[in-house]
Amino acid sequence: MNSGERLTFSKSLMLLPMLIILAMFFISVFTLFSSAFVDRGGFSLKYFQQIIDRPDYHIVFYRTVLSSITVAILAVLFSYPIALLLWRANKWRNLLLIVVLVPWLVSLVVRTYGWIVLLGPKGFINAFLGWLGVIDEPVKLMFNDTGIIIGLTHVLVPFAVISILSSLLSIEENLEEASRVLGASGFQTFRNIVLPLSLPGVFTALMVLYLASVGAIVTPLLLGGITEKFVGSQIYQEVMATYNMSKAAAWSICLLSLSFVSLVIIKMIERRALRGQE
Amino acid sequence: MRTMSPLSRTLGIVFLLALPLPIFIVFGASFNGSAYIQFPPESYSLRWYIEAFTDPRWARAVGTSLWIAAVTSVVVTTISFMAAYFTLRYAPRINTMLELAIFSPLFFPHACMGVAAVALMAKLGIVGTPGAIILAHVIVTVPFSYRPVHVALRSVDPDLIRAAEVMGASELRALKDIILPICRSGILTSLLFTGIISFDEVTVTMFLIGPEITTLPVQIFTFIQDDASPVLAAISTISVIITFLAIVLLERVAGLTFFVQRSGS
Repeated sequence: MNSGERLTFSKSLMLLPMLIILAMFFISVFTLFSSAFVDRGGFSLKYFQQIIDRPDYHIVFYRTVLSSITVAILAVLFSYPIALLLWRANKWRNLLLIVVLVPWLVSLVVRTYGWIVLLGPKGFINAFLGWLGVIDEPVKLMFNDTGIIIGLTHVLVPFAVISILSSLLSIEENLEEASRVLGASGFQTFRNIVLPLSLPGVFTALMVLYLASVGAIVTPLLLGGITEKFVGSQIYQEVMATYNMSKAAAWSICLLSLSFVSLVIIKMIERRALRGQE
Repeated sequence: MRTMSPLSRTLGIVFLLALPLPIFIVFGASFNGSAYIQFPPESYSLRWYIEAFTDPRWARAVGTSLWIAAVTSVVVTTISFMAAYFTLRYAPRINTMLELAIFSPLFFPHACMGVAAVALMAKLGIVGTPGAIILAHVIVTVPFSYRPVHVALRSVDPDLIRAAEVMGASELRALKDIILPICRSGILTSLLFTGIISFDEVTVTMFLIGPEITTLPVQIFTFIQDDASPVLAAISTISVIITFLAIVLLERVAGLTFFVQRSGS
């Protein structure tokens, strides 16, 4: 529908609602910055100082970053075979896609609740193990890093499947055929053709998953409890329990800069990995 | 030609089946007769469903989430359609800039979105109102609405519109009789997809609720923190069924190919 016709003022009003929504977003980001950097009417780094001075807060950042890297890598490892399966399953793809999409779109809070029912001290796994007589005391499966990592990985796998599957579907069938005709084994074809060409999807997944994980609130809060805090759970507490908006804003800006730096690093790794393609 | 080694096929099937597992566990737990999860269950009953349906707080939360999702999806799809139509037809040059702005919220961690939203809504003085929740949902869902609508509009053959105009159709007539029918599946994808996201959104919404209003996912979240009564399993099952029906509807009316398309192509 590209025609680029003559522009009139009344027609450009069609763009106005979108511009208002985008402006709202950018104003909200601006408000975030102004509440973090301003104290009693003047520029101040007080709220950042409050975060930097606390060694226990540093642990929160380390935990968030390390867990998120683990989650992103685990989720990609789990989702790759699923994406391959969906890619191969021509006839059944739509049905299998629903099996991926439903867990993706069902509310985060419901999926996390599922893990509480599974992992909790009175949960399914503990009840099952107790019934088998393997354990006398409930095993601690949540309210620790393990619980957060299990929950976040599960929550994020569906997106990774979709991202990798999109890459796989854009591979031309001829390439694979050519490789097989020239005598490559199934594994060699995978190693030399399929895997490299699916890397863009893998990197998109890594990036989005990492971002979603560092910015998560609900899953870390419910599966990590109050002792094993994520940056997200800390932010939630500052807003909802201590009503300290400025400090929450300072936390958010730390998180934002952290994710920006991480994105640049992931992009650099991607560029190295994709060197030679195209 | 399209073969797969038995090992990777098995892994794929096992991992795929593990995805809905927690949802099935919740489903099973909702029919549990006792006050906490037991294995093996001692009794089965529908008492949690009865409690879910008789407690007015749950009915209200479901209602609120449904109407907010409906309003959000219609508003955001209309905004996206107008913007995409205008850009493609009258100002193709600004498209790159516009898309950059529209997709930038995607690179924002959700926790930051939540704080930014509550900071803005507090300035506007609307925290705890439906307006704040809808505005936040529209901001969050715009990228997911713009893409399917823009892809659909781009696929409309400009000659068709020109033909309609040569035959004397007004711009509005061409829009109604030619463009909208061709874009039907893109528009439906946008409506249902953004509706589902809004219905299930929790991370940003939980900062914006108030004593007067809360949504279903946020109320589930609040209840999990207070006490994890199995009534939550029944409520969660109801929420899963609503989302599931919306996805099946989406598959029927528009197909699911949108989800596995590369954005560039």
